[in-house]
Amino acid sequence: MTEPRPSPVTAGTIQTAAASRPSRRRVWSRELALALLTLSIILVFSILFPVSFRSTANFSAILRNLAFEGILAIGMMIMMVGGVFDLSVGAMASLAGVITGWLMKVAGVPVPLAVIGGLAAAAFGGFLNGFIVAKVRVNALITTLGTMGVFQGLALLIGGPGITFLPDSFTRFGQAEHLGLQAPVWFMIGLALAAHYALAHTRFFRQYYYIGSNAKAAHLSGLHVERLQIISFTLMGLIAGLAGIIYSSRIATASSTVGVGAELQAITAVILGGASLTGGKGTIWGAMIGVFFMALMKNVLIISRVSSEWQGIILGAVLVLAVALDSVMNRKKL
Amino acid sequence: MRNGTSLLAMRGIHKRFPGVHALKGVDLEVQAGEVHAVVGENGAGKSTLMHILAGVYRPDEGTIAFRGRSNVVIADEHSAQQLGIAIVFQERSLFGPLSVAENVFAGRQPVNRWGKIDRRALYDRTRVCLRRVALAVEPEVSVEHLSPAQQQLVEVAKALSVGARLIIFDEPTAALTETETSALFRVIAQLQSQGVGIIYISHRLEEIFQIADRVTVLKDGAGQGTRIVRETHPGELICRMVGRDLALLQRQSRGEPNTNPVRLEVAGLNDAEEFRGSRPYLQEISFQIRGGEILVLAGLAGAGRTELALSLFGVRPRASGEIRVDGRRVNIHSPAEAIEAGLGYAPEDRKDSGLFLDRSIAQNVVAARLNDFGAWWFKDRQGETVTEEFRRKLRVACTNVNQPVQELSGGNQQKIVLARWLLVDPKVLIVDEPTRGIDVGAKAEVHSVLRELASRGTAVIVISSDLPEVLAVADRVLVLCDGRIVGELKGDEASEEKVMRCATISR
Repeated sequence: MTEPRPSPVTAGTIQTAAASRPSRRRVWSRELALALLTLSIILVFSILFPVSFRSTANFSAILRNLAFEGILAIGMMIMMVGGVFDLSVGAMASLAGVITGWLMKVAGVPVPLAVIGGLAAAAFGGFLNGFIVAKVRVNALITTLGTMGVFQGLALLIGGPGITFLPDSFTRFGQAEHLGLQAPVWFMIGLALAAHYALAHTRFFRQYYYIGSNAKAAHLSGLHVERLQIISFTLMGLIAGLAGIIYSSRIATASSTVGVGAELQAITAVILGGASLTGGKGTIWGAMIGVFFMALMKNVLIISRVSSEWQGIILGAVLVLAVALDSVMNRKKL
Repeated sequence: MRNGTSLLAMRGIHKRFPGVHALKGVDLEVQAGEVHAVVGENGAGKSTLMHILAGVYRPDEGTIAFRGRSNVVIADEHSAQQLGIAIVFQERSLFGPLSVAENVFAGRQPVNRWGKIDRRALYDRTRVCLRRVALAVEPEVSVEHLSPAQQQLVEVAKALSVGARLIIFDEPTAALTETETSALFRVIAQLQSQGVGIIYISHRLEEIFQIADRVTVLKDGAGQGTRIVRETHPGELICRMVGRDLALLQRQSRGEPNTNPVRLEVAGLNDAEEFRGSRPYLQEISFQIRGGEILVLAGLAGAGRTELALSLFGVRPRASGEIRVDGRRVNIHSPAEAIEAGLGYAPEDRKDSGLFLDRSIAQNVVAARLNDFGAWWFKDRQGETVTEEFRRKLRVACTNVNQPVQELSGGNQQKIVLARWLLVDPKVLIVDEPTRGIDVGAKAEVHSVLRELASRGTAVIVISSDLPEVLAVADRVLVLCDGRIVGELKGDEASEEKVMRCATISR
């Protein structure tokens, strides 16, 4: 388990060598491995399908399609660094979109207020999840599995199948384009940069690495573990709400089922990108690569005319393989 | 009570593990209908010896005779069971959600012709077994709904149902109340009268004088002889258990009176009501400690020392009690408030609750002091520089401070935990079993770190079960037993005998 104590002499030499040139972090990581794999896929398919794959339109489409899950994955990465996850995010996104749509179409509330209403509802839903997990101490999987059903049901109750023909003043944002990329993509990039800064450099978010690594030790070191958990669930709710509202702005419809299955897609991407189910590991940049890798895989499978049944099989196998590889590598180290 | 027929005879048992000679030719003889106590300090070899009887380990040398058969080989747990040897473990090995009957007959449920479990026969047979241990519960009840004492009796019933002739009790009363303890003793007496042999392991000497016929003392893996209980006394047993040479660890206390101001004062601390009935239950704890003093909390496992630390540190809820730091009354309900008030606590189980194993050394060191390294742009470099200093001062053997702590040895990991608190620089530092599982060299280094910390005016509270360590570092010793302070000894007057006597006899 532990390494033998080096003799004083060798320990001394190692120390001086290290002091003069401190090695910061391990160079090899899941993020880097996945990035290289992603690059090689791009390379290979650019050669195989120079027309259909290597086009601006195709890449723009890939990004457009991943924006929704990408935004969710940012929140999910913060959660999983802290050692928890949230299955209700897809339903929460649907619910926030539907509430926003209902407020502006049915209740006649001005657009900005309707958006704020949708976000507030999503944040409250997230807070509820966090409260149940941290204070009542129900397991996160069970809590969010339950609230997923609740949020999905509420979305259907309020919006039916969906609320269509949302006002132009609302859809203008989601459908705007800059430099060939749609607004949701820009939004995802902006959120990712902000979240990367927060998770990598602020003291507040640094605490999530500690509670994810060992919640007991974090508690005994004076960290407010329960409070931090409630905050991360609330933040996740807010981010899910944003994702749902932006998506409904883009398609001009608040669909009650837009988020179905999105939670698992987000969790898959985040794990591929280096998060661990037990917490304490992961970066936003890893989450983004995970999301991009998944979207790219789907895209190349469609382009190479692989049937949709096989897409599921291949993506599922890739996930298990990636995590299995990690587990084998870690075992060797200990 | 013993009837003279030898049930078990172990002769010249040796067991070696890599680097440790755990048993050095131990003899143990148990007669049918006898309660035979085995005593010794932690690490004396009791568990190893019992694990050999249970078939977990094979002895390297020596012979075992059981029920008239000489040279018995106990190859595994199953063959121990077939011979008729059963252990009632400290940590109960029951299936919580399953019924009493399912537990007693686990894997041996009576079945009908089609392989279906015959419930009626199962419950009938279980009732017979439960009657033998005087346990009045229904066979259908889930085991997790029973009290610890009742669960223990279910284990005894299970042992009887497989026809055990020798039952080993490993610290059976550690979690029992006094009434439950005497109920267990009645069951043991009944088993005795049925000719079952009992091996009874306990730290509580007064229990041994209550129920045992003979007692065998182990020390550092060697037998110190077997005595008839009626012909010995606690003092003699303690002497045999601890008599070792103390030259290894130098006594630090010079017995000079400490005139520094009082740093921590605790008055009338009581556990919250929710702990009433469980053991230990902290009651009327009052003490004080001055700056520059090292106070050791001694006592047996389960005496309430860790619970007291957790209570002071805001983890374990209190019903009452006043805590003053530097004369100022403080209100502590969480570790964060405790740290704010000037307390620090390095927990007993480093890996479970002390360290962030997959995080780097530097990140572990700064964990309780994140506020010092910038809110909007966390200064990792500065944390590494600070850690570098501690690494030199505490002589931590590592390649660099960005190495994950899980790659360090136990002694170096402990130094990282200490470094975290040295960085916080609390007024009062509580360290729980600071040298458990680390080698002698690192042990002495940890001791000198604690002494240096005290010499700078910190009040240091050490929880330790290691008697030589207690004597080596203590300026003063408080002995706890069953959640109360039962004795106070000055460091230069304390001896292993005095501490053990306090901890085992004064109930």
